[in-house]
Amino acid sequence: MKINHRHPFPWPLLRFWTFRILPIWFLIALMIFLIQIAYCGIVHDNESIKTFLQYIDLLPSFIKTILGGDALKVGNIAGFVAIGYQEPTVLILYMLYAVGVPTGLLAGEVQKGTMELILSRQVTKTQVYICAGLITITGMFALVLVMFSGTVVATNFYDFDQTVHLYPFFKIAIVGGVLASAVGSIALLAAACFRHNTAVWLTVAYLVVNYFVSIIAEWWPRMKWLQPTTIFYYEPGPEIFNESAWPISNLCVLISILLVSTLLGGFIWSRRDLPL
Amino acid sequence: MKALEVTSLTKWYGSARGVEDLSFSIEEGEIFGYLGPNGSGKTTTIRCFMGLLRPTSGECRVLGERVLPGRATQHTRIGYLPGDFQIWPGRTARKSLKLMAELGNGKNINKRRNELAERLDLDLDRRVRALSKGNRQKVGVVFAFQHQPDILILDEPTIGLDPLMRQVVLDMICEAAQAGTTVLLSSHDLSEVAAVCGRAAILREGKLIKLAPISNIIQQGQRRLKVWFVKGTKVPTLPADKLPGVRVIQQNSDTLQIAYQGTVDAVLKWLAQFPVDRLSTPQTSLEDAFIQYYQKEAGHED
Repeated sequence: MKINHRHPFPWPLLRFWTFRILPIWFLIALMIFLIQIAYCGIVHDNESIKTFLQYIDLLPSFIKTILGGDALKVGNIAGFVAIGYQEPTVLILYMLYAVGVPTGLLAGEVQKGTMELILSRQVTKTQVYICAGLITITGMFALVLVMFSGTVVATNFYDFDQTVHLYPFFKIAIVGGVLASAVGSIALLAAACFRHNTAVWLTVAYLVVNYFVSIIAEWWPRMKWLQPTTIFYYEPGPEIFNESAWPISNLCVLISILLVSTLLGGFIWSRRDLPL
Repeated sequence: MKALEVTSLTKWYGSARGVEDLSFSIEEGEIFGYLGPNGSGKTTTIRCFMGLLRPTSGECRVLGERVLPGRATQHTRIGYLPGDFQIWPGRTARKSLKLMAELGNGKNINKRRNELAERLDLDLDRRVRALSKGNRQKVGVVFAFQHQPDILILDEPTIGLDPLMRQVVLDMICEAAQAGTTVLLSSHDLSEVAAVCGRAAILREGKLIKLAPISNIIQQGQRRLKVWFVKGTKVPTLPADKLPGVRVIQQNSDTLQIAYQGTVDAVLKWLAQFPVDRLSTPQTSLEDAFIQYYQKEAGHED
């Protein structure tokens, strides 16, 4: 009898999962794209900005911090355009993909009982994990690039009083893409370790706590020391705008989180029994 | 070469026992029955063979190759039907089966898949959620058989099927074995195990309590004797002290049904004292033997 030890990469599984995820990805990408255009539409003239600032001044300072803090002032068009990058709706859309996709693909298939079928074919657990990881991490990065393309389209579509330089936005998009991929890898780690609902809730809780800690640390000077403990600290928007150099050290931290989470998740996934 | 082999296999789920020190092997082309009540460790063993569980100790081998958990050891040559077969409900059975075939060595098996579906009277083009439980099980049977594997690992393959379809599946198993396929058949339906298997293993609380040809297992079970006494005769009381190992199963106004072990000699000599009309010896079934093994092991023997 011929013994076959080769395990070719399961392209059919990657294709199947990709086509299952694509409609959700397109929907989220479209919403993020349109939100960028909408924000540029609002902030492209000074009158709108003044009205917007008057409105923000009525709100508690904590809310202003959420929307961009000190960057929001007349004359700083780039700061206003960048609101679209950290607006809570956009962050929630990212979270939907980051949490929903890896937990749905790994823990979800396990819970449905279909993972048992997949693993009964010529597919190793590592290959299954790689498929889920590729879809999660590239999908998250691509969403950020769509967000940047929304800015590119909007800045060409609307007339601004001053030139909006796209290069800083590109830098933010790249760093944000790595941040988004790192968030996806954390969800992947949770999906590799826990059952579906537990993985979803743990990842959501982690992201929400991180988000509010980063806002509180920025808003309340006494809590500034907490900033480096949150993942969002490593995408410093204002600094990227003000400095021409790339934030290499922040990128290194984010890439480390991405690699450690992904590899740890892969290790646990390959060692863990498929739940009965 | 042994097609399937387990050596000193032990699996614990934390403090809960799965299987303990299990060893047996299955020859190529054999149909092997795997029996035991719920929670006895049948599915644990099967999942260890499939590399879905990591044994606490011991090892499994498939076609001579050691099973490495999660490494799809010899999976191109295994047809697997899980005990609780689940497939994507929103897709048609054909699409899901095609995907599963593509994840292995079964790219050009459309004809075979259609033949199996026709034989099982299954519509592959309906969405799985629209199929009845029995039809979903048929999808599972097609999934296991479609790539003509060298080994079939079937966990309750006929569950939910009507008697006619059950027979079709049993025929398919026998035909596969005649063509050289090795079959590990785990089932609660002892009659189907008795019908198709050459040998069987009986598990209890994770341990192997019997491994023998089916005929031996049946023979070692308690035999039965039904006695009709002449009308008007009072049915005598069984002298338990003089006839050890004999027990009454059923007693009516003029009949007595007893179970005994060993030879019938002592029973016949006792019966000779009474006016017996006729005797019959109902055939011992695998069910009888199976129940007896459990009673014996659990200390319930009369």
